[in-house]
Amino acid sequence: MAFANAFYNTIVKRNSVFVPAIFAGAFAFNIGFDVAVSKFWDHWNRGRQWKDIRGRYIQDADES
Amino acid sequence: MASSSVVRKAINVPPTVRTLPSGIPSAPRLNLAARAPSDGHHHGHGPTLRSDTPSRFTGGGLKTTPAGLLYKTVVSPAVSTQYHQRHIHSSAIAKDAPEVPDYSAYRSRSDSNNRALSYFMVGSLGVLSASAAKSTLTGFLETMAASADVLAMAKTEVDLASIPEGKNVVIKWRGKPVFIRHRTSDEIEEAQSVNWKSLRDPQPDEARVKKPEWLVMLGVCTHLGCVPIGEAGDYGGWFCPCHGSHYDISGRARKGPAPLNLEIPPYELNEADNKLVIG
Repeated sequence: MAFANAFYNTIVKRNSVFVPAIFAGAFAFNIGFDVAVSKFWDHWNRGRQWKDIRGRYIQDADES
Repeated sequence: MASSSVVRKAINVPPTVRTLPSGIPSAPRLNLAARAPSDGHHHGHGPTLRSDTPSRFTGGGLKTTPAGLLYKTVVSPAVSTQYHQRHIHSSAIAKDAPEVPDYSAYRSRSDSNNRALSYFMVGSLGVLSASAAKSTLTGFLETMAASADVLAMAKTEVDLASIPEGKNVVIKWRGKPVFIRHRTSDEIEEAQSVNWKSLRDPQPDEARVKKPEWLVMLGVCTHLGCVPIGEAGDYGGWFCPCHGSHYDISGRARKGPAPLNLEIPPYELNEADNKLVIG
C-alpha cells in the first residue's frame, strides 16, 4: 500500500514525470534486453563462435 | 381452387390479465358486445340489426357455393362444455428484496494498490511500445547505412613497422592522399611546445594525434585542395606549392592562405598487430 502510493505520487501523478520516466524506462529496457539476448546467444552458441575458437588458429597473436 | 377452400381465421384472444374499474375483464381484441348477425330477411321482425354486426355484403355470416362451404363467421360461438384451466404466468415473481450477487470476492482490497497497478500497466505498455518503436526506427535507418562489406572496402590498412622514425608515408584512402608521419621525439616536443592558442585554427597537438609518434592526416590543403609537400615549408612540416600555405609538424596551418589545419581522418591504431586502420 505504501509502496503503491509512493509509486503513484512520485512517478505517475505528474505527466511531465510519467512520460520521461517511460522513455527512460524504454532506454534502459532496450539496453537490458540487448544484453540479455546477447548473453543468451553466446551461451547457446558457446564453442562455435569465432571469438571462442580464435585461440585454436591464431596462436601468435595470443602470445605476443 | 382457393375460392373453394374454407377461410378459417382464428384469433387467439389474450388471457385476461387486468380488470377495468367497472369490473369488466379487459380483453382488447374481444368484442363482448357482439351479437349474432341477423338473418338476411329483415322486414321489421326479428332481432334488430346492430351496427356492429358485419353486413352481408362484407362477407359476414355464412356463404356457400355450389362447391361447398366458402366461409362461415361465428360471432358467438357455442359455449364449450369442456373445462380448460388456464395458468397465467404473465409476470415475474415478486420478491421481498432484489437479490444482488455478492461481488465482494471480486472487489480489490485496496484502491491505491488498484490505481498503482493500473498505472504501472499503462507505463509498462508505454515502455514496451517506445522500445519497439525505437528498434523499428533504428532498424529502418540502418538499411540506409553502408553495409559491412562496403565499409570494409573503404578501410585502408597500413603496417606501421615499415615506416621508420622521421619518415613520411603517403597512401591512398578513398581516393585521397593520407599523410602518415612517424615523428621523432624532437618533433613531438616541438609540436607540443607551440603556443597553439595564438594559431589561426587553434588546436593542441594532443587533439590531433592518438599516439604522439604517429601523425595521420588527410593530405589535402584546406585552402583549395592541392596536395602539400612533406618536410618542407618554414615550420618543418608541410608546404603547399599552389598558394604557399605552410603547415607545422602537427599539420596546423601557420602561414599562407590556408584557413584550417589539415584534416584528421578517422583511424584506429592496432597496438597488438602494429597496424594502422584508416576509415
